[in-house]
Amino acid sequence: MADDVFEKKLPAPAELNPMTDESLRAAFAGESQAAEKYLVFAEQAEEDGFPNIARLFRAISFAETRHARNHLRTMGGINRTADNLQTAYEGESFEVDEMYPAYREIARTQKNREALRSMSYAMKAEVDHKRMYSDARERALKGDDIADQPVSVCLICGHTVIGDVPDKCPVCAAGAKYYRAFD
Amino acid sequence: MSEPFMNTPPKPEKLGAMTEGYLKDAFAGESQASQKYLAFSAKAAADGLPNVARLFEAVAYAESTHARNHLSVLGGIGSTADNLQAAFGGETFEITEMYPAYDAVAALQGATEARTSIRYAKAAEQDHQALYEATRETVETGKDMAAGAIRVCPICGHTVIGGAPEECPVCGTSGQYFREF
Repeated sequence: MADDVFEKKLPAPAELNPMTDESLRAAFAGESQAAEKYLVFAEQAEEDGFPNIARLFRAISFAETRHARNHLRTMGGINRTADNLQTAYEGESFEVDEMYPAYREIARTQKNREALRSMSYAMKAEVDHKRMYSDARERALKGDDIADQPVSVCLICGHTVIGDVPDKCPVCAAGAKYYRAFD
Repeated sequence: MSEPFMNTPPKPEKLGAMTEGYLKDAFAGESQASQKYLAFSAKAAADGLPNVARLFEAVAYAESTHARNHLSVLGGIGSTADNLQAAFGGETFEITEMYPAYDAVAALQGATEARTSIRYAKAAEQDHQALYEATRETVETGKDMAAGAIRVCPICGHTVIGGAPEECPVCGTSGQYFREF
């Protein structure tokens, strides 16, 4: 795509005062959640027999993704890939070491089984993501790409695997046909 | 309590207030991670690392499945008519409350790039609000909306039903770059 055209029109990374920075952070959070919600609503619309509404939700989800990117870019959140991998690694580490263990204890205390399941699925996948980002960062720092292999994701629990898909998801036991391949 | 693992997405349940609060935080976290990774994927492709780009894209999708699971447990997935109402409410909040307030702060602080990012978003949310409202009315009569392409500006998110304009009325990007759904 015409990168130079895009470069000129996109908002540029800028030095921001704390209040503006905070506003953009909150706006990034809002746009990200809207984008995800609309993808789920698109699936529900398909199920309800409204394929055209499903398309509308998907298109608007993409629009929110553009806004999320613009806000993130303005806050200086998009850097060279080795740095982005470090950011991603730190985010996964926080979720694995701090966030989900604490949240799971609360769900357990309150006997919310489905919440516990949702958090456990996420936490288990984040462990894999953390390792994958760490490996990729080592390579990117040397200027190398990672190996050219498909990456597949369980569409129930988000279990992520590089290379061959297992017969059964080791986290939620979904069959191999429930994996979405990125190849 | 043992940890149940079953191959269906988690379901809505009556939640303790603390669990509900943290599950909402987790939904926010997963959503932001997913969007970040999509942006990082585009950057990795631009940096000449197509396999890292694929890894980011796949992991973004994994985070989307987590966001969906959390939203499901929170009872946030209704019928399509309800979902359209929820979407309309969200867009309305952004247009009438959130972005005007953020823009006032950015204007006060002379943050021109932030104002551009806010202006792009607010303009598109107005399109979305109108589209959701019209669609909700159609669905209430039990009908799908009309078939046809929807196009989105890849820079500012301007959203139109049907053909792309010659130039985006919000950011001036040529219509040839609009993404078609």
